[in-house]
Amino acid sequence: MNEKNPLARFRNQLGHSGDVIRDRWAHTPGWQRWIVYIALIIGALLLPSESIGSFMSPDTDWASILFFPIGTYVLLAIGLNVVVGQAGLLDLGFVAFYAVGGYAMALLGTRLGWNFWIILIVGIGICALSGITLGAPTLRLRGDYLAIVTLGFGEIIRITARNTDEIGGPNGIRGIPHPPSYEELNLFGINFADTFGVDPLKYGVLDPRPYYYLLVALAVVVIILVKRWEKSRVGRAWAAIREDEDAAEVMGVPTFRFKMLAFAIGASIGGAMGVLWAAKSISINPNDFQFLLSATILAAVVMGGAGNLPGVMLGAFIVAWLPERFRGLQEYRMLIFGAVLVALMIFRPEGLLPSRQRKAELKEGTGGMGTLGAEVPGPESRGEEVASK
Amino acid sequence: MLLEVKDIHVHYGKIAALKGISVEVNEGEIVTLIGANGAGKTTTLKTISGLRGLTSGKIFFDGKDISKMPGHKRVVAGLGQAPEGRGIFPGMTVHDNLLMGAYARSGNFDKELAEAYELFPRLAERRNQAAGTMSGGEQQMLAIGRALMAKPKVLLLDEPSMGLAPLLVQQIFSIIEEINRRGTTVLLVEQNAQQALKLAHRAYVLETGSVVKSAPAAQLLDDPDVRAAYLGGGLGHEAPGERA
Repeated sequence: MNEKNPLARFRNQLGHSGDVIRDRWAHTPGWQRWIVYIALIIGALLLPSESIGSFMSPDTDWASILFFPIGTYVLLAIGLNVVVGQAGLLDLGFVAFYAVGGYAMALLGTRLGWNFWIILIVGIGICALSGITLGAPTLRLRGDYLAIVTLGFGEIIRITARNTDEIGGPNGIRGIPHPPSYEELNLFGINFADTFGVDPLKYGVLDPRPYYYLLVALAVVVIILVKRWEKSRVGRAWAAIREDEDAAEVMGVPTFRFKMLAFAIGASIGGAMGVLWAAKSISINPNDFQFLLSATILAAVVMGGAGNLPGVMLGAFIVAWLPERFRGLQEYRMLIFGAVLVALMIFRPEGLLPSRQRKAELKEGTGGMGTLGAEVPGPESRGEEVASK
Repeated sequence: MLLEVKDIHVHYGKIAALKGISVEVNEGEIVTLIGANGAGKTTTLKTISGLRGLTSGKIFFDGKDISKMPGHKRVVAGLGQAPEGRGIFPGMTVHDNLLMGAYARSGNFDKELAEAYELFPRLAERRNQAAGTMSGGEQQMLAIGRALMAKPKVLLLDEPSMGLAPLLVQQIFSIIEEINRRGTTVLLVEQNAQQALKLAHRAYVLETGSVVKSAPAAQLLDDPDVRAAYLGGGLGHEAPGERA
């Protein structure tokens, strides 16, 4: 790399400071980490406060956009990260699973009158099944081919929903029930509504905060599960598949099964978010599940640093928040959003907070999403390495 | 007979890559497949390790028909492969790469780890380095060491000399000889025919998807046709059309 180039130097410095923090974190004892985790959760719960809202989103209701798009994008990005970041499978139709979750909530809630919590569990199951249904025939494909098929699947789900009158056609479904409320919550003698000015389990139309708290709870559960998978045998198998699928197979990794598992887990997370989102928004229609959403979530994952959970969450936050922050500039906000994306790709091509493993893969010009599945040279790889693949 | 490939045909789409190849490997041997680019050497190896499907033919390993067995199960059965070129995991450390080699096994692999580091002292020096940042020769060593972690009965090696300096090729080949002496059967695919024939017990010459010759390796080293085509014997340069 050309060290004289100020851009390259700046980029290297950025990378170096990231390494220092990461090493520090790797050597932090467990109890200190837990303090940080709990502080982060409390921070997330305090986020919908008006005091920061006036800066974070001067033009819209901060608590509302914390649920959608910010929180929703973050959770969807965590789900897509399992597929794209960990197993290295390029999925361009992730919105399909979000849609399946949303429609599961809408149909089971309005037609059968089921309770939100039961639908959440059933919806996760349905989405895992739809992930497997999509995966079984398509996961024999690799890279770009898989991307095209998943893109098609995303569109098929949306268009089928639009053309099926039994589920509302283009009008969608209205009157989706909210989760059951527990009003005037009293815990240890503290009345939440009086003390904090919010009734945390009252799921109504007016206050978005209870939904946001529910989303935070769901995200915490999902993050714990995903982290545990990442560190297990399953996570190592995903990493091997991402870096070299053939080599993984001849190491004795049942690659097909593990790719299916990644699809099913990613789909379940997307579906869970779909259920939660539909339960808040009362009505859904097929146009809520455009391809653009898949692309945006993928941008969030890649930009944040595919494979690294904090990076992916940060990426999703930025992708969701920036257009809302600059809403006052009207159509120019998309220009700023685009400029930020371009700048990020110049200064941090490997993502905002990439995992170290990922960086090494990117240098090689191999490794699943390191090249978006296509085997093309990376920024520093030599031509023949790729040609030999 | 430990490994028997019986008249296998393999197609990429409609194009026939292998047109009836038969190879036999006995326990304790080093057998090599030599041939030019596109002769089907790598495809044969990939088919044996289960990465390519068969159109017809059969593969027997240890007396059992493994033609339909998926690749990851063949590893457990005892077929270890070091894939072509640099089929290592570039983002993982050397140590993690070696551990991936033992993925299908359970229990304690300290002994195999120690053996891999003993065979390849360079890997021990670099155990915490990301594998992708190593030189081509080191990556090749890692690929072989990783394949040994699965304790294979037959080690399948795909062009271990590719892209390496002559001195390194010598080194790698003497290590392959050592691995064989310690009791692992080796099936070696090579373009470097001279080196491969010196090392191997028996050899097969492949040309456009078929076996054109099979004989003890020493005999092929003296064979005028083979010399002309693969060993730079002079004649091959004058009449390239005949072999191409």
